[in-house]
Amino acid sequence: MKSCLLASLIFAMLCGMVEAEAAIQTVAIEGMRYVPERLTVQSGDRIVWKNQDLVPHTVTHETFDSQQIAPEASWSMVFRKSGNYPYRCKLHPGMHGTLIVR
Amino acid sequence: MKTSHIPSIFAILISAAASSVHAAAGPTDQQIAAIVVTANQVDIDAGKLAESKAQSAEVKQFAKLMVTDHTAVNKSAGDLVHKLKVTPENNATSDSLKKGGDENMANIKKLQGGAFDRAYVDHEVAYHQAVIDALDKTLIPNAQNAELKALLVKVRPSFIAHLEHAQHLQSSMGQAQ
Ligand SMILES: [Cu+2]
Repeated sequence: MKSCLLASLIFAMLCGMVEAEAAIQTVAIEGMRYVPERLTVQSGDRIVWKNQDLVPHTVTHETFDSQQIAPEASWSMVFRKSGNYPYRCKLHPGMHGTLIVR
Repeated sequence: MKTSHIPSIFAILISAAASSVHAAAGPTDQQIAAIVVTANQVDIDAGKLAESKAQSAEVKQFAKLMVTDHTAVNKSAGDLVHKLKVTPENNATSDSLKKGGDENMANIKKLQGGAFDRAYVDHEVAYHQAVIDALDKTLIPNAQNAELKALLVKVRPSFIAHLEHAQHLQSSMGQAQ
């Protein structure tokens, strides 16, 4: 009984570890937009913003800032804290996106 | 009250449209390359002046963005024409873009403060509108090389964003003369 409990405990821990394994998610920046504009990810995921435009862009929030991402360049960050992160491009006033970390 | 440099933009448009009507086959890829490079350079030059001379912080920031973005576009365009071995060839449209740019510079250099900001922004609106028109009516339809055409298609959204940005500045300046 005791070993059974221990086994299931270890199993649960392993499951947790597997679940927590970071995924990489990509947001394209193209046509002066973030694609997708709204993305939901799991805590611990690494998000990559890939600039596919001909002009530089930024990914800017109160708590983080990519600075200028050159054409064909990328910027990434791991998000651990759950919450909504509305971000924008500091250069182009019309560009907005939202990252939701679960 | 429209200033005298605005009609030159329409001259560019007409000449761009005319070149596609009169010439049997519109501009060649070499001519399109020259039009793209000139269009960007003209706006980089105006932006550099406005970056230092504009009165409002928003206009200064916009001017800085024009320098950054059009420089980046010209780098991509330069890399592509180099790769494709397309030698830019000056033509009526690129010449009138250059002339329109020179006239605009001469005009705004004489102005100060709010009058400078207004004239610069008015011209940016007209300029971006004219270039988008040229892209849609002349440049994209006539581009032969697929990669050149793709570059023109790719550059379009940034010109639209610049136009909207300039229009926003224009309306926030109000309707005063
Ligand atoms: Cu941007």
